[in-house]
Amino acid sequence: MYRKQVRRRRAVLTLLILGSFGLLTITYGQSSGGVQRSVSTLFSPLQTVADRALKPARDLVDWFDKTFDARGENSRLKSELVGARREAVAGQEALQENAQLRKLVELDRDPALAESAYKPVTGRVIARSPTVWSSTVGVDVGSGDGVKVDDPVISGDGLVGVVASTQGGSSQVTLITDHTSAVSAKVLPGGVQGVIRPDVGDPEDLILDFIDSTKDVHGGQAVVTSGWRAQGLASLFPPGLPVGEVTSASIVEQEASQQVHLRPYAEMANLDLVQVLTGGSRQ
Amino acid sequence: MIVTPKIFARLAAIAILSVLLQLSFFSRVELLHTSADILPAVVVSLGLLGGSMTGAVAGFSVGFLVDCLLVAPLGGSSLVLLGVGYLAGLFRERFDIHSPLVPPLICMALTLLAELGFGAVQAMLGIDAPVSALVIRDILLKSIYAFFCAWPIYFGLRWALRPALVEEPKVTRRRQPTVLGA
Repeated sequence: MYRKQVRRRRAVLTLLILGSFGLLTITYGQSSGGVQRSVSTLFSPLQTVADRALKPARDLVDWFDKTFDARGENSRLKSELVGARREAVAGQEALQENAQLRKLVELDRDPALAESAYKPVTGRVIARSPTVWSSTVGVDVGSGDGVKVDDPVISGDGLVGVVASTQGGSSQVTLITDHTSAVSAKVLPGGVQGVIRPDVGDPEDLILDFIDSTKDVHGGQAVVTSGWRAQGLASLFPPGLPVGEVTSASIVEQEASQQVHLRPYAEMANLDLVQVLTGGSRQ
Repeated sequence: MIVTPKIFARLAAIAILSVLLQLSFFSRVELLHTSADILPAVVVSLGLLGGSMTGAVAGFSVGFLVDCLLVAPLGGSSLVLLGVGYLAGLFRERFDIHSPLVPPLICMALTLLAELGFGAVQAMLGIDAPVSALVIRDILLKSIYAFFCAWPIYFGLRWALRPALVEEPKVTRRRQPTVLGA
């Protein structure tokens, strides 16, 4: 009797392990999307209700967390404000100059032009991945709202990520801090281009790779999406979307490139409302 | 654990509720820049209460649901959570739990194992970016949070699944000894 029970237990365990590996194989064979979409569609209303119901509790915990953080941040922000004022004045001048140059050169890389082709759809974050190994969030807008896979997602602060999959009333967004993410970007001013990759485990640090070591990049510079377009191919992201601010730059040993670290403008840990940029010149 | 249709429904409800709570609440609030992961603690508690099979099946189901809702590679979370659920169940079958401190400690240890397991699965599938040393801090803090979350989770689940538990100690009152001549 006991042996039979042990045998049955082992059989179930083997079956479950094989099932897990089977599911992984199916996922990488790209045929599991239907199952995931169905389950996600089924649970989407429940997630929305849970998100709304738990918001006060989340806000309370956030308040405690932010109170601790705010003490240290206050002095840093004060010094940053002085610098920002100076930059704002310089920015006004640059805007005037920019407007004149745009009249002279008509390029498809005009941020205003590119953004005007996009129709922003506002959504609320309803779920977030629990492990540090993946950075994805669920939002309560989906294909029914015109959202499509690969649509860029922004928050009030800057670029957040890209739509990975979509159902009728919800979508999953891969954040720029996820290990699968790569965003072509440039440093302003100067326009030095590179690819932004995450530093897995640290959502407040991104790495701008493939930067020529001879180019001067220093802390405080802004990084925006470059939004390239070549031979019928185009970047997923429109040009000019703010991504983050350079914190440090170091030359990689034995390589002709430097690694630039930046802090994303968008607070990935506290995303609540986001905008999906639907449509656009890419489609 | 005696799994009747009613108990099965309760187990399913517990799994769904925990996943929704995790994705909508615990993953989205941070203390010391790290969010708590209650799912390993829930699976471990179910394993400690119901044995290795209950733990393994619960782990597989919870992992499957998480992967579906996050459109993550299916099977990754299932593999890790079924492992920790099975180990917790095995512990329960081999040893008696005498102290109320044991379940939280096991939850903490197995959450640490689960987080390392998630990393191992991700490494197996390929990580396309550098990994920060902060991952270690995140994993350790998650384990500590699991220790504190395990108290309400374990005792709450024990209360919810009380009718199905075989070895639930009965509350017995000792009869006062009869004193002759009194």
